[in-house]
Amino acid sequence: MALLSVQDLVVRFRTQEGTVHAVNGVSFDLDAGETLGLVGESGCGKSVTNLAIMRLLPRPAGYIDGGKVLFEGNDLVAMEESELRALRGREVAMIFQDPMTSLNPVLTIEEQMVETIRAHRHVSRDQARDRAIELLSRVGIPHPETRLNSYPHQFSGGMRQRVMIAMALALEPKLLIADEPTTALDVTIQAQVLELLRALTTELETSVILITHDLGVVAGMTQRINVMYAGFIVETGSTTEIFEQPHHPYTVGLLHSIPRLDAREAGPLIPIEGSPPDQRQAPVGCPFAPRCAWRIERCWTVNPPLAPVEAISSPPVLSGPRATHRAACHNQPTAEEADAGRPLRPGFMPAPPPAGFSAADVEEAPGVAAYAGEEAP
Amino acid sequence: MTSADISVPGRVAERASRGLWRDAFTRLMHNGPALVGLALIAIFVLAAALAPVIAPYGPLEGSLANRLKGPSPTHWFGTDLQGRDEFSRILYGAQISLQVGVVAVLMGLAMGGTIGALAGSFGGKVDAVLMRFVDVLLSIPGILLAIGIVAWLGRGLPQIMFAVAATTTPLFARLLRGSLLGLREADFVIAARSLGASRWRILFRHMLPNALTPLIVAATLALATAIIDVAGLGFLGLGPPDPRTAEWGTMLTDSTRFLRQAPYLLLFPGGAIVLTAIGFNLLGDGLRESLDPRLKR
Amino acid sequence: MGKYIIRRLLGAIPVLIGLSVVLFAFVHLLPGDPTRAILGQHATPATQQALREVLGLDKPLWQQYLQYMGQLLQGDLGHSVVNNKPVLQEFMIRFPATIELTLVSLLFAVGVGIPLGRLAARHPQTWTDGVVTVISLLGISVPIFVLGLTLQFFFSVQLGWLPTSSRVDPRLGIEQVTNFMLIDTLIAGRPEAFVDALKHLVLPAIALGSIPLAIITRITRAAVLDVANEDYVRTARAKGLTERRVDDRHIMRNAWLPVTTVIGLQVGGLLAGAVITETIFAWNGVGRWVFSAITNRDYFVIQSSILIFALIFLAVNLVVDIGYAFLNPRIRYS
Repeated sequence: MALLSVQDLVVRFRTQEGTVHAVNGVSFDLDAGETLGLVGESGCGKSVTNLAIMRLLPRPAGYIDGGKVLFEGNDLVAMEESELRALRGREVAMIFQDPMTSLNPVLTIEEQMVETIRAHRHVSRDQARDRAIELLSRVGIPHPETRLNSYPHQFSGGMRQRVMIAMALALEPKLLIADEPTTALDVTIQAQVLELLRALTTELETSVILITHDLGVVAGMTQRINVMYAGFIVETGSTTEIFEQPHHPYTVGLLHSIPRLDAREAGPLIPIEGSPPDQRQAPVGCPFAPRCAWRIERCWTVNPPLAPVEAISSPPVLSGPRATHRAACHNQPTAEEADAGRPLRPGFMPAPPPAGFSAADVEEAPGVAAYAGEEAP
Repeated sequence: MTSADISVPGRVAERASRGLWRDAFTRLMHNGPALVGLALIAIFVLAAALAPVIAPYGPLEGSLANRLKGPSPTHWFGTDLQGRDEFSRILYGAQISLQVGVVAVLMGLAMGGTIGALAGSFGGKVDAVLMRFVDVLLSIPGILLAIGIVAWLGRGLPQIMFAVAATTTPLFARLLRGSLLGLREADFVIAARSLGASRWRILFRHMLPNALTPLIVAATLALATAIIDVAGLGFLGLGPPDPRTAEWGTMLTDSTRFLRQAPYLLLFPGGAIVLTAIGFNLLGDGLRESLDPRLKR
Repeated sequence: MGKYIIRRLLGAIPVLIGLSVVLFAFVHLLPGDPTRAILGQHATPATQQALREVLGLDKPLWQQYLQYMGQLLQGDLGHSVVNNKPVLQEFMIRFPATIELTLVSLLFAVGVGIPLGRLAARHPQTWTDGVVTVISLLGISVPIFVLGLTLQFFFSVQLGWLPTSSRVDPRLGIEQVTNFMLIDTLIAGRPEAFVDALKHLVLPAIALGSIPLAIITRITRAAVLDVANEDYVRTARAKGLTERRVDDRHIMRNAWLPVTTVIGLQVGGLLAGAVITETIFAWNGVGRWVFSAITNRDYFVIQSSILIFALIFLAVNLVVDIGYAFLNPRIRYS
């Protein structure tokens, strides 16, 4: 059985301007010891999904409007708050993006670590303190005994994130959710922290959900990737397959908007024109249609389901190293098109929106400007 | 880039700020409490403006035979110690409270604003000296400062206006200085400066519109305090020199001795002060919410 | 942190000097003829000349200022025009009464204001929050004199539950030792007098404390709401801590900081408001004395009282600032 099984999770936010549809029916599984990457641009719902898993959505604005989150078979959505509290920190831990604001500025590191440990285990303050020292040295903080009495602002950014990792892994949880753990750090520190994360989670056999918008981070750390857009998962598969054979136009676009050392030829960077949709309205059709270079008429009216990219005989495998590669697209790019970053079928133009469709940023011919004048190979 | 483009930052800021006002206005119109505040203020402004027309009696008209009568059909709010009609005196009192309050706040804005603007845009030693002066003003709390100034200058409406203005000056000085200091380092100001705009142009075209918002909110709220302070001075015997003048605070002094027999002498002037203050406080809070949409509280 | 304290103390010096100059001008630079204004009805050529010599009005301004500062530092604050007693002495006699009232009002404002603010922050945008907001609004919109008179009317005149004025029933014959009524009644060993003194404190303390109450409530509510939205509160919940612990250790410990600063500022308002409150309730403290000094044009009394109040206010704010620096680790260890 999968350690974590998210099923049709729907999350909404009440705002002054209406309801925001942040997450629209997301499903994925996670096995023990697996590292899953959740990739997408800001606002696509990746952080919200994970806050929802731990039921840490900002109240009263955010709420779960449907779906289940099965952790070791128990539905976290339906659980009592007191039961959930016992799980938080002990079985499921979370580290956040900005370590400066994520640590309480008026408490010492010792106080914050000891309270975590003693919230879930009956140990004395001294025992908890010893454990804290042990954890701090594990994450590479020099002179942990003295540094325990320091306050968060007395550490550097990288050190703070190490402290957060130490706190999160203090009780050796089964699942660690890392929300953009390195985004706020310098590039060289990023690599160190990621390496630390990888080493510890492998050693403790912790499952990890790694949320990021940085494909580089995901490439080195994860076994599988979910690509999210506008609150939907649009593609999922093993990391290698996603990078080598993307099947969703958005994924293709993402891969072509960063410079890559393994590109077959030195081509131009092709930005994805347009901006993410206004999630105050319930989605109609495929959410990526307004910016999609492969769109056909069907894309405007029918939201494609997440389906296997190749016909298979048995039901799709949802997790683990043999997970089925699935994408949500009516008109998936071919392998050559994925390499080139744009459609290559002669005479193909992205289907215009149907009459009466009110989309503010419909790109008339997405990607055309970037390759206008080129010859098809 | 042609020379015409140099003025673009200013124009863009103008267009942006015009949109801001319109948005803020719409938001304000939907804010319930703010509208209540506006209504209260309107009532008293009308009362003040139309006093000569609506008041059934003159403010000084009265005979001792008629003194201390309770509310009746001929005297809606009763009569005071000298037999004068309370209702009329409340209407005329509105004139004084509002006039003095508004002028005091405007003076405070002028004085405090100048100090703050100078300190904020020049910085350095100018800033240090000016702010020390503001600190001295601040060390004498609220009404004590006003009392001191009126005791020093003597009684009279202009003196009262100046005294109350002095109590609001530090607030406006600090506000404007803070806004300007913050904006000096703001990216769009640096951009304008790099395009060759002069210091004064930057001050007026770019910094002031942004600094205006907290000032408007503070001024509205300061009006509430100003009206209360004016009445407070009147209550303490430092009001308008002519003791017959209809001023809400002075009217309350009478009520202290006749609380048992004539509680309405407390109710109506006191109520007028409270309602006016509530009006400006509600409006001020409403303005703060509409002008700064980031505040979702 | 030590550097911060020193800097703060040094920064206070120019303000003290400025304050002394302003108050010096209050008497020595009275518009018109100072001696006439000060002496009022007692003004005869003889008394005016005597006053002129005392103030040194014929000497150059800077000499007058030095003389004034010299007198100040020796504790000579002039003499009351009314009864010719030394101002400092008269001030100290009445001062405990004002402190007693101010302290109790502050306790009231803080003791009710902070819980009220926390309550509103815990249930934002609900009826509870609405009621607290209304209480706050009324607190700052109802002037002390209106509230004081209204309280007197209802609880004293109409209902007779609480006394109208003064500090203790004079028939109880309490001897004034410290002039802190609450302490004196206990020294005299009379618990029923203690209760009586408390009863006398209730209405004035509520009237005086109403504005600080309103402001403290508002600030507490805002501070708690701000902090509750911070990332570290989310982290605390993610660690599985109970709501109680999150509230106490993570939210309140941080929300306290802006609240303490505001409390310090409110002390100024309390001192200023004491003038009106003591007048209404016939409370024999400095405030009432200042009021009669205004009526009697007793300039030395007014000048000195403002000076001492300002000094107290400055001192309180200094303590609060240093306390804040101590409580906030980001300043303490920088």
